[in-house]
Amino acid sequence: MSDAPQDSRWSIDEAELARLTKEARQFKGESLWSDAWRRLRRNRAAFLALLFLAAFAGISLLAPFLPLPSPKAISLRDEPGTPEWVWSVPAAPTKAPDRGAATTRATRNLWNDGWRHRSTIILGAQDEAAAEAARARVQEVSSRGAVVEVYPAAEGEGLQAYASVPMTEGDAPQVDYGPTGIAGTASCWEVLTPGDPEPTGAVHSLRLTGADGAAFDVGQVAGWSVEARGASIRLFLSRAEPLPGLGDWVVAYRLSTELDALPTAVLLNGSLLPGSAAVSWGGEPSGAQTVDAELLEGVEAMDLGRRVAASLAASPIDGVTYMETRHEDGYWEFKGLVGAMDRALRRARIATFGLWQTGNWMGTDGQGRDLLARIVWGSRTSIIVGIIASLCSLLIGVLYGAFSGYMGGRIDNLMMRIVDVLYSIPFIFVVIFLITVVNEYRTELEDQFGIDREKIFFLVIGAIYWLTMARVVRGQVLSLKNTEFIEAARVIGASTTRILLSHVVPNVLSIVIVYLTLTIPAVMLFEAFLSFLGLGIEPPKVSWGLLAVDGTQAINPIKIYWWLVVFPAGAMGSTLLALNILGDGLRDALDPKLRGKN
Amino acid sequence: MPILDVQNLRVRFETHHGVVRAVDGVSFSLEEGETLGLVGESGSGKSVTNLALMGLIPSPPGVVEADAMRFEDRDLMALSDEELRSVRGNEISMIFQDPMTSLNPLLTVGRQLTEVLEVHERVSRREARTRAAAGLADVGIPEPERRLDQYPHELSGGMRQRVMIAMGLLCRPKILLADEPTTALDVTIQAQILELMQKLQHEYGTAIILVTHDLGVVAGMSDRVNVMYAGRLAETAGAIELFDDPRHPYTRGLLGSVPRLSGDTDADLDSIKGSPPDLADLPAGCAFRPRCTFETERCAVEAPPLFDLGGGRSSACLERDALGQPHGGAQ
Amino acid sequence: MLRFLARRFLWFVITISTVMTVSFFLMHSVKGGPFDGERKLDPVIEANIKARYHLDWPLWRQYLQYVGPFNLDDQRALAAFDEEGGFSLWRSEDAAGEPTRAFGGVLTGDFGPSFRYKDFTVNDILEESLPISALLGVLSMMFAIALGVSAGIASALRPGSGLDLTLRIAATGGIALPNFVIASFLVILFVFLIPLLPVAGWGTIQHMLLPGFCLGLVFAAYIARLTRTGMLETLSADYIRTAHAKGLAPRTVVMRHALKGGLLPVVSYLGPATAGILTGSLVIEKIFFIPGTGSHFINAATNRDYTLAMGVTILFTVLVYTLNTVVDMAYTLLDPRITLEDE
Repeated sequence: MSDAPQDSRWSIDEAELARLTKEARQFKGESLWSDAWRRLRRNRAAFLALLFLAAFAGISLLAPFLPLPSPKAISLRDEPGTPEWVWSVPAAPTKAPDRGAATTRATRNLWNDGWRHRSTIILGAQDEAAAEAARARVQEVSSRGAVVEVYPAAEGEGLQAYASVPMTEGDAPQVDYGPTGIAGTASCWEVLTPGDPEPTGAVHSLRLTGADGAAFDVGQVAGWSVEARGASIRLFLSRAEPLPGLGDWVVAYRLSTELDALPTAVLLNGSLLPGSAAVSWGGEPSGAQTVDAELLEGVEAMDLGRRVAASLAASPIDGVTYMETRHEDGYWEFKGLVGAMDRALRRARIATFGLWQTGNWMGTDGQGRDLLARIVWGSRTSIIVGIIASLCSLLIGVLYGAFSGYMGGRIDNLMMRIVDVLYSIPFIFVVIFLITVVNEYRTELEDQFGIDREKIFFLVIGAIYWLTMARVVRGQVLSLKNTEFIEAARVIGASTTRILLSHVVPNVLSIVIVYLTLTIPAVMLFEAFLSFLGLGIEPPKVSWGLLAVDGTQAINPIKIYWWLVVFPAGAMGSTLLALNILGDGLRDALDPKLRGKN
Repeated sequence: MPILDVQNLRVRFETHHGVVRAVDGVSFSLEEGETLGLVGESGSGKSVTNLALMGLIPSPPGVVEADAMRFEDRDLMALSDEELRSVRGNEISMIFQDPMTSLNPLLTVGRQLTEVLEVHERVSRREARTRAAAGLADVGIPEPERRLDQYPHELSGGMRQRVMIAMGLLCRPKILLADEPTTALDVTIQAQILELMQKLQHEYGTAIILVTHDLGVVAGMSDRVNVMYAGRLAETAGAIELFDDPRHPYTRGLLGSVPRLSGDTDADLDSIKGSPPDLADLPAGCAFRPRCTFETERCAVEAPPLFDLGGGRSSACLERDALGQPHGGAQ
Repeated sequence: MLRFLARRFLWFVITISTVMTVSFFLMHSVKGGPFDGERKLDPVIEANIKARYHLDWPLWRQYLQYVGPFNLDDQRALAAFDEEGGFSLWRSEDAAGEPTRAFGGVLTGDFGPSFRYKDFTVNDILEESLPISALLGVLSMMFAIALGVSAGIASALRPGSGLDLTLRIAATGGIALPNFVIASFLVILFVFLIPLLPVAGWGTIQHMLLPGFCLGLVFAAYIARLTRTGMLETLSADYIRTAHAKGLAPRTVVMRHALKGGLLPVVSYLGPATAGILTGSLVIEKIFFIPGTGSHFINAATNRDYTLAMGVTILFTVLVYTLNTVVDMAYTLLDPRITLEDE
């Protein structure tokens, strides 16, 4: 080929080139992804599924914005319940009565603090005017806008005024414990008294001695309790006579954790405290263990209820009596960065809808909670569990599988053998073990590591579902290692990184995406399964699994609460259906050769 | 009297890309015992022609029409499903390109052979087995009894193709449709298979339609040759005449692109410029025009019909006479 | 074949030992024991119980006792091994003339006493509940295969038709809903609205219909999908075209040529399906109040009835493993291209 090709055969003119390129593009698309997208669009079912899921995710995301009744709040009237299908029952009033300027300010204050909690002071009133006066007083004491609802009294004559304000710090009873500087030691030993059979286990009791040798004087002790809090154990002694205006729990001692069991008996100044039992024999201590103890002082803030009561005591209103205070959680707290968006949505909701909320369009459950709201909020939990747990399994599976496939040979063999062994263990049993075990340590984990039940859940689920992903990824990596286009790339001198990035990763990514879309519904089902067995998400959080469980419990021969079964099942079924259809569609779109392989 | 007479066969596939006319007005006939070669590149419609004859075109996307498709005294288009089934494998047989995928890997060779006999000739299992073994022996497979109980993956490629041939000829059909029977085989085996087919043809008097893209195969075996392009016949001729004196630019191009051992071995290969046509989007006029070196303006007007050149030859080219001039002949 | 079985057995031993050891040490190292219930026990009674169940032994000894094959509590058993001859294999007597056994533990098939049901051993409980669960499982599997395969074939023979679409959506629906939700629906339908079947319990055919159906439904769905894709793939293979070209009737082509290949994926699915049925039975037994092994397991795990929980786990692992092995062997019978050595 010494002569440069001069023949017209070898030259293609511009127009021809353009035409050919256009033709090629028409059929091949420009990249794997746009090609796949086009194929997915053509698959009508999968495309519809995608739209459905997108809409669904949108609603789920916007949950704080939607004007739904609270999924947590118990109705003010607090009638225990039967589930209600409200379309056959006249709707309960949901709009707060208009009380003029106060309402506006209330709305603004709700906006300010977020509709997070609501403090409701229940006062007895003899008539409407008294109820209004009561509301005004509550507003004054709390320095927030108050809204009142008036009902007939539960017994006898008169009215009940339910005055609500948005809750802030300091409303709920709260005791802060701080060190007093008085320290000493507590001794724990086996206390034995004559007559009882020989004890076989260790029994602790407590004797508190001050630094100067004198015993602490706490007055009459009515009861005691011991709590493990973080790194210490706290002993709370309640006084027989609570101080006026202050709470019951006044005295607390912080004991170190050298005690390896919580005290089962407390001796204070030589005598047993009520409520404690000591097995004893012989009357003599048989061995002592001494731990440090520090007297804590509990300072109780005057909570809102008490302040109102105090104010009424100081300057009474005619016909108004203080009855009780309740604190109701309207919604969960939205903490931190993620919560910021939810808080913003909530503010938007108050701004747009005010206090108005929809009726119970899908009925209520046995505790009066709105079903539609529970479905919407539950979707958040379920979807998050689904996604995060799947991502966990993805991470583990992809790393494991890619490594195994890449290494090949004996290491690959061994790693896959391990997968096979794990595969043949019926995992459900191990999971149930694990979760039961983890439950034991829940408080410690939560205090020390900040890991709550949900995070454990993710890890446990991830630990099961990674097996299939690992196998699939390993298979893909293995076949890719030897394909011709990898060889070709190497031949033209592409570096390993480039090969990895532009050839290996996209191919593995496609199969990973497909399996991810198919793992998510499996995980959601598994979460439902565990919740059914009582090992999954716990109230007060809501998830679809819990809703399904509620549904099954509502079946009884007396009256069939069909809405409790139908609506959650419909929501869950359609979402999972859509996910499965989408997964199949993605599989077909990303590689038609894979069609039908499981 | 030809045993097969096809008039104006048209096969189209209705896809979402558009209508693909795989076969667009093909007519030919086949005499008893003769070998007709059907040549063309991929997408020319040659395999589809064979499948259409057997009624094996899948019906939802495919539509088969013809003015006539006569086999002996019957019209294949008018036969019911049941009647067609009794023709298939029995009077008209087909063998396929890749024997590895064309034989059922989960059934023994013997089973696949005996079932043909059981369906068409109502023989007992035992007799079918004997005849199957005889059939294997006929195609030159040693130890035929043992092979009957083996599975296809236990045989070599050449042997598998022999099995296919045996399967096709078990009922002594009048016509054997061979769809690229040697393409998937090694060159040395190719020759053996072709020899085998010729021998059996002489023994049984079977007519063969041999579909291939390999001119060497055509040259060795065919009596007559039909050249197809873009779903239509480009040229028909006797084998020798075709190679001596091609009358269609496509045929010329094909012959010219065959590497030769004699002559100027350093010269570049003459390849046909351009690429195979998109059957859903054919250009106006002659389908070969974009790639033709002899084209003139009138070629763009209308697709040329098949002109009869006499003596059993025809050509679908407006320049056919020019091609017949001495300096236009192939080397 | 022997090498295959030997290798399988080796991995079986490894798997079971791992499961046993891990579960054992996991359960026993959790603080609190099976007797730390809501009520505080009299410490004397508590001590007695601990002695009876050997909870006061060091963990390693408890483990060996559990695994067996020697009953470490039986002094004579240990002693009998030093002497030659004259000891009875299964029973010996202790000093008080009470019969004790020289052998025990899982390796002899004895899963120990139940911690919760004080008068029963785990074996007793298993004997009583296993046949029930087994029957339920077998019924479900048979139903799943029958329904799944027929639906899959029907679907594959008319791809894209209305029937196909309906069956596919039904199949995906069967996968998408948790089986207890479907159970609730069906209970409402067939027990309350149309009183046809009893709501709970076990004993007659009517009792078995609904639980079997609910348990098997999701697997029927999977099998339908697998059959459909398997059949579609097989039906588009070249050899099907050859079969048609030979003049075989369409039904023969499907039954003789396509079915075998199309059902292969279903056969390999049977292993995971069994594991799935075991898992699903936990919930179904709870809903329909069927006294099977599954419902015992949950209670055992939450009440820390160690022996029962572990007994069930080990049993089920053995079952799943055995079935997987059987399936693998069956697969080689069906597909002549695959041999056992391809492990």
